[in-house]
Amino acid sequence: MKKLLDQSLRPLVMYAMVVLIVSIPVYFLTINWIWENELDKHHYAIREKLEKRLTSLDLPDSSVSDMISVLDKVQPGFSFTQATAPSPDSSYTLIRFDTFMNDREQFRCLMTDIRVNGTLLRVLIETNMEEIDETILAIAAVTIFFFILLLAGFVYLNRKTSLRLWRPFYDTLASLQSFRLEGGKPAALPVSQVTEFTDLNQSLDRLMDASLASYKQQKEFTENASHELQTPLAIVKSKLDLLLQSRSLDQPQMQILEDAYQAINRVTRINKNLLLLAKIEHAQFDQQQNISVAELFHALDAHFLDRFESSRIHYAQQVSEMTLKANPMLLEILLTNLLVNALRYTPAGGSVSVRADQSKLLFANTGISPLDEHSLFRRFAQASHEHAGSGLGLAIAREICERYNWQIKYDFDCGHHHFTVIF
Amino acid sequence: MKILIIEDEPELAADIGAYLTAQDYLCEYAGTWAQAREKVELYRYECILLDLMLPGGDGLDILDILKEQGQQDGVIIISAKNDYESKIKGLHAGADDYLAKPFHLPELAARIYSVIRRRSFANQNNVLQNELKVDLSSRVVTVNGAVVSLTRKELDLLLFFISNKNRVIGKSALAEHLSGDIADMFDNHDFVYAHVKNLKKKLTEAGYGNYLKTIYATGYKWEG
Repeated sequence: MKKLLDQSLRPLVMYAMVVLIVSIPVYFLTINWIWENELDKHHYAIREKLEKRLTSLDLPDSSVSDMISVLDKVQPGFSFTQATAPSPDSSYTLIRFDTFMNDREQFRCLMTDIRVNGTLLRVLIETNMEEIDETILAIAAVTIFFFILLLAGFVYLNRKTSLRLWRPFYDTLASLQSFRLEGGKPAALPVSQVTEFTDLNQSLDRLMDASLASYKQQKEFTENASHELQTPLAIVKSKLDLLLQSRSLDQPQMQILEDAYQAINRVTRINKNLLLLAKIEHAQFDQQQNISVAELFHALDAHFLDRFESSRIHYAQQVSEMTLKANPMLLEILLTNLLVNALRYTPAGGSVSVRADQSKLLFANTGISPLDEHSLFRRFAQASHEHAGSGLGLAIAREICERYNWQIKYDFDCGHHHFTVIF
Repeated sequence: MKILIIEDEPELAADIGAYLTAQDYLCEYAGTWAQAREKVELYRYECILLDLMLPGGDGLDILDILKEQGQQDGVIIISAKNDYESKIKGLHAGADDYLAKPFHLPELAARIYSVIRRRSFANQNNVLQNELKVDLSSRVVTVNGAVVSLTRKELDLLLFFISNKNRVIGKSALAEHLSGDIADMFDNHDFVYAHVKNLKKKLTEAGYGNYLKTIYATGYKWEG
C-alpha cells in the first residue's frame, strides 16, 4: 500500500536523484578540464619565460649548464636534462608519492624542449594539483548535501501544498470510513469548492443512497418473507394438531401425520434460521456482556442430556472457567448449533466431547469419514445426505464467529470430527 | 372460562378456538385492532391471546388499554416475531407469556392453563385428577396421599398432559415443550418416549390408574 501524497513526491525525488547523480561526473569533468587547461596554459607561459630569460642572459654555454644544474636542484617543479633530439611536447597528469610533501600527490606535467644557445634542453614542469579521487569525493559530498536539502524541501512543500489540495479528499474519506449500511443513514460528505471533488461527493452520495435503499429492501424482504411464512406454517401446524384429535385415525394415518409434523418442523427450522442469518448480517444483536461459558453450557446441557441418553451417545463436557464478551443470544446459538451438529452426526454408541483450552473451545464427535471442509460452512450445503439438518446451522455458526472475529475450523483425525472455535 | 383470541388470520383463530372449545373454554374472537379494543373494554376474560400485528394498530397498545383500566386479564402474546427483543418488550408491556408462531396447540393450551392458574389465587394451587394431586406452589405430587417423587421434566410433562386432558398429543409437540427452541433442530424425538415411560411407571407404582395412553407409538393421551 502506498500513500497518495508520497506518490506525487516519488517521481520528483527520483528525478532529482538522477539529475544529481549525473551531475557528479559532469561537475568533475568540467572542473578537471578547467584545472588542466589552466595549468597547461600556465606551464607554457613558464616555458616561454624561461626560454626568453635564459636566452636574453646571453651567457656562455658553460655558465648556462651550471645555471641549469643549479636551477634543476633548487627550483621546485622543474627538472632539466640534456636532450639529443627534439621531441614533441606532451602534457599529462600523474599521481605519485612525493617525498617532500610526504604524501601521495597528483601532478600536471609538461615535458617540453627549450633551446638555449643552440643547446637543446628537455624541461619537465610539474604543478601539484588536487587528487582526482578527493575532487570526486568533495563534489559528491556537496552534491549529496544539496540533494538532501532539496529532498527535505520537496517533502515539506509537497506536504503543505498537497495537503491543502487534497484536504477535501481526506475529509470525504474520513466520512466514508464511518459509513455503515446498518446505520441506515448516508455519511455526510464535506462541501468542496473544487469541481472534481464535488463530482466525487455527488457520485458517492448517489451510490450510498442506492446501497441503503437496496439494503433496506433486502432486509425488509427477508423479514417480511419470513414473517409471511410464519402464519401459514402456524396454520399447518394447528391443522395437524386438530387432525390428530380425530377418533378415526388408524396407525398408517398416524404415521403419515408424524411424517407431516417432521416436514413442517424442518420448514419451520429453515425459516427461523434464514431470519436469524438476516438479522446477524444486519448487525442486530449488538448488546454485549460478559458471559460465563461454563454456566451457559450448564444451561444447555439440561436440554441436551436426555437426547444424548436416548441416542446412547457418551457426552463429556469439560468447560471450566472461561468468560467471553459477546451477545448472550448469539453465543447461545453458536454453542447450540455446534452441539446439535455433533449430536446429529454421531452414530449411536459414539461419543461427543466439549473441552475448553485457554481461548479455544473444542468440539469432538465420533465420525466415519472426513466431511468436505469447503462446503461445510456454506448455506444449504449438506455435508452428508444421510441426515436432514436445515443446512444452515454451521453457516450461522460461522456468521456469528465472523461477527466477533473468532475463527472456526474443522478437521478430522483418529475417527473424530473436530470443530474448534478460537476466540 | 372465557378466552379472547385476538388474531387476524381467521384460519388460525378458528383452529385455536376449535382446540380450546374442546377443552371446555369459551372462545371469543377479534380480527382487527378496533374489534380487539372494543372487546377488552367491554368484557373480562380469564386469558387473552394477543397477536401483535393487527390490521389497524399495534397489539402492544391493547396491553396499555388493559393496564389503564387496571384489568387483571391474563395475556399471552402469540406473535410471528420470534426474537428476544420483541419477547422482552411484550413481557415488559405486561404480558404474562410470549409464544412464537408457529406453535403447537397443546403448547398453547398448556400456557393458557398455567397463566390462568397463576392468576387465580383462591385455592387454585392444587390440581386434582382422580386420585392424583399436584400442589403447584410446593411442586409436590401425591397419589392417594402418598408423595411421588418426580424429576422436574416429569412434573412438567404431567402438567402438560393435564392441561391437554383427553387430547392426543404428538411427539413433536411434547419435544418442543420439553426442550424448547432446540426441539425443531431434530427430526428424531424418541427421547420423549423415555420421559413418558418413566412418568407412567412412577404413577402406576404409586397406584394411579392407567390414564396415560400411548397411541400407535406416535401420540399420547391423558384421559381424565
